[in-house]
Amino acid sequence: MTNTTSPITLGHAEAATPIAPGRTPWEQEAIGFVIGFALLALLPLIFGDTYARHILIMAFIYAIVASNWDLSLGYGGVFNFGHLALFGIGVYAYSLLTKLAEFDPWIALFASGVIATLAAILVTIPILRLKGIYIILVTFGFAQLVMQVIISQSAITGGTQGLVRIPGLYVFDHNMVRDGKSAYFYIALALLVASTLFLRVFVRSRAGASIVALRDNEEYAVSRGVSIVRQRMLTLAASAFFTGIAGAFYAAYQRNASIDVFGMSLATIILSMVLLGGTSTIYGAIIASFVLTIFAEWMADFGAWRPMITAVLIIGVMLAYPSGLVGMIKASWGAVAGRLKRPA
Amino acid sequence: MSALAEILFGGLFQGSLYAMMAVGLALVWTTIGVFNFSHGVFMMLGAYIAWQLIELGLPAAVAFPIAVVVMAGVGWILQASVVRPLIGRPNIVLVVVITTLAAGSLIENGALTIWGPRSKQIPALIAGNATIGGVGVSLHQIAIIVITPLILAALWVFLNRTRLGLALRAVAQNEDASHLVGLNVTALYGLAFAIAASLAGLAGIFMGGYRFMSPVMGSDPLLKALIVVVFGGISSISGPIFAAYLIGFFEAACSYYFGLYWTPALLFGVLILTLMVRPEGIFASRSRGLA
Repeated sequence: MTNTTSPITLGHAEAATPIAPGRTPWEQEAIGFVIGFALLALLPLIFGDTYARHILIMAFIYAIVASNWDLSLGYGGVFNFGHLALFGIGVYAYSLLTKLAEFDPWIALFASGVIATLAAILVTIPILRLKGIYIILVTFGFAQLVMQVIISQSAITGGTQGLVRIPGLYVFDHNMVRDGKSAYFYIALALLVASTLFLRVFVRSRAGASIVALRDNEEYAVSRGVSIVRQRMLTLAASAFFTGIAGAFYAAYQRNASIDVFGMSLATIILSMVLLGGTSTIYGAIIASFVLTIFAEWMADFGAWRPMITAVLIIGVMLAYPSGLVGMIKASWGAVAGRLKRPA
Repeated sequence: MSALAEILFGGLFQGSLYAMMAVGLALVWTTIGVFNFSHGVFMMLGAYIAWQLIELGLPAAVAFPIAVVVMAGVGWILQASVVRPLIGRPNIVLVVVITTLAAGSLIENGALTIWGPRSKQIPALIAGNATIGGVGVSLHQIAIIVITPLILAALWVFLNRTRLGLALRAVAQNEDASHLVGLNVTALYGLAFAIAASLAGLAGIFMGGYRFMSPVMGSDPLLKALIVVVFGGISSISGPIFAAYLIGFFEAACSYYFGLYWTPALLFGVLILTLMVRPEGIFASRSRGLA
């Protein structure tokens, strides 16, 4: 990053990273991060059956997609409604690379992330001059465009039928099918850890601070030398990489690809994870992904009532707690802490 | 000759349906400044209510107006429950997207539970067929082509010549000033939603008369209406109407010359190009802050 942003040179290099008031020190966050993910890594010991593990794997995938969406939506303030298209691009990139081009699955997984990133850069171009609702509409249009292209090229992509028998991932000679899904569980968890680490480091960096500055006061940020074009592209590209990888992993895990990933219902669920968790936290989206995925499973007996109950729940939380579950936790924690320690 | 007639007719027909949908979206956007993603579900619900009333033995001429009035009530309730409490929040645009999507999902799944997934059809406005310029058309479609401009004209008169309509437009232009002169802004928000919902319901009744109905029938028209509104400019009522017919003709010509598969892709390509060149839409003179 060029030094044009701060004309006043500071005495020491450590001051380069801006510390916002009320921000958790990184040491504390690192401890919480390690403990939290270590607990997740121990979950297969409790949940031995493959179905429970399957639910957890899906929750991890959704958590990656939702937390990356939080980067562009929450921190960047860019309403990218094509985020699920980036996920879908990951799904189809992996499927086509492994099935038609016969790439090694791991290379294809990585390449899918790169392809999704390139697609994100491409979609940034038309929205550079736009704001708010217009960004929603163009990115929404982009998602539909990608879907229509995939449907129309049915000779390669399988069209509305989708693709089946997609090669899965492998770990040396380990049998991926008969291990009670534990290999896929740990790969998904590793991806979530990598993605979360990347997102948290990004939002705590100078670049992260600059995209928040652009969101909160664009004129001032631009006048201080933050490039809106470069930072917006950076935001979307950064949010796309792990989203694409999550899509590729989803395809490898499910062993099939279908056009449903572009549908409104998945987008609504993931978006509610982002908003339910509370934007601009990263962790909120991850927590909400677990809560919603497990909640949806827990309600499996309700059948047709399930989506309706979920919808009512989403509306209820949005009306009562505009800052989402994290705001809800903070508010109740504040009430508890207030009782324990009365302010002077 | 027959190619031209086919494109002209197809464009007029699709354009009419898009205009009915897009006007409601634009009305809500200009007055409240939010995008209603449950608009497509309004369309579906209007058609199903009409179907249910006819099933109960009412004649179509009675059932259709009742369904439209019921839809106005649905629009009002939806506005009061998921939009009004959020007004004044800093991120209202985004939060309303999710609450209206959730409300849409609620209504859609509710319809699926009540009426089941089996396709239904409601009677056409006028039964029978005709041949015009070498193209076979149904009288139902002709009726839609004729009725839609009348309804849109009535809406224009309402918005430009009546006190209530002017009040609606005043809220759209300057909300604070409307408060100051004593307009009941909350009620006007409800009215905007009610009008939008009844127009969408009417579009649903039109559509249910020539195509099979299903609980998800509204999602594609909503998408097209979004394109129309963006294309025509979000800040006015007349812009989306012109754009609706233009898109209708474009779509009819595309599917005639390039086939049905390429039409949506071409349409979105045109949309993205339009937004890059003129983000405020091609028929807009002024915009609501582009935010």
